[in-house]
Amino acid sequence: MIRFVRDMARVLTMACREHVVLFSRQLDAPLSPGEAFGLRVHILYCGGCRRFKEHLRHLQSLGQTLALQAEIEPGLPADVRERLNVLVAQAAKKN
Amino acid sequence: MSGADAPSRQTPDAGLASVPLRAGESRESAARRWIAEHGDSLWKFALARTRSKEAAEEIVQETVLAAMQGFDSFAGDSSERTWLLGITAHKIADHFRRARRAESPRSPGISPDATCMCATCRGMFTEKGMWACVASKWPDIKLSAAEKTEQAEALRACVDALPPGQSEAVWLRDILGIPASEVCKAMGLTDTNLWSRMHRARVALRSCLETKFGRRKEKGQ
Repeated sequence: MIRFVRDMARVLTMACREHVVLFSRQLDAPLSPGEAFGLRVHILYCGGCRRFKEHLRHLQSLGQTLALQAEIEPGLPADVRERLNVLVAQAAKKN
Repeated sequence: MSGADAPSRQTPDAGLASVPLRAGESRESAARRWIAEHGDSLWKFALARTRSKEAAEEIVQETVLAAMQGFDSFAGDSSERTWLLGITAHKIADHFRRARRAESPRSPGISPDATCMCATCRGMFTEKGMWACVASKWPDIKLSAAEKTEQAEALRACVDALPPGQSEAVWLRDILGIPASEVCKAMGLTDTNLWSRMHRARVALRSCLETKFGRRKEKGQ
């Protein structure tokens, strides 16, 4: 409980420059409950951070679209696959 | 370029995690298996980044050769596919470093603050760390397929303009959706290095897309 309050207070007293770092980190690793709650409270009254978070969500969504586009591309062409296997055989002989 | 984004001071693949051979498997048979099982993924990743079949083939070749040389030097602690994608990411980054050196030795790429449209502010934040500019609202995420494709292409162009290393991390993490812990192992980064690299990349991408989708206005206007 003490840690929760301490983390929340720290986040609420941060500058927005530090909030955006936490918004980004949240996409890669969980924040502590106090930090996450502090951020949720902060965006209630900070339009700049709210917009930043919205943009991050948008970026994630477009990233998924790009992944789908890449996925529907044809896979490794047969001639490239053949050349790779030849290269592997040559490399194995050298070693 | 700061520490987290600086090219590895070790050999290009030195930071990569690896996977051991399967029981009774030679290097050659392992490499043939990688090509059969993961060749499509490596090819699509390399082709999506370079948009050149020649470059993609070269990168996949370099990846397989590096994997053959490197796999017994390290302890395996990531999935085989992620490990190979990590090597591919290094090779792609090397490809773009070479290309940028050849094109323009001082190519600036994009920087987070370079695209602020305000007449008065010089970056995202004031000296006290508060927002200098409130970015505009972007078009709704719930777009038609055609609009979404168009926006995704804009994102691709922005990712291409990131420094090598950042763009590969973005591809692995935010586009291919590989878990952060796996990306760290595959790219030889610590958690904090990855967080820092991803944050800088996302801020730069946001600034880049802001010039395409939105129009910044000065706070208070």
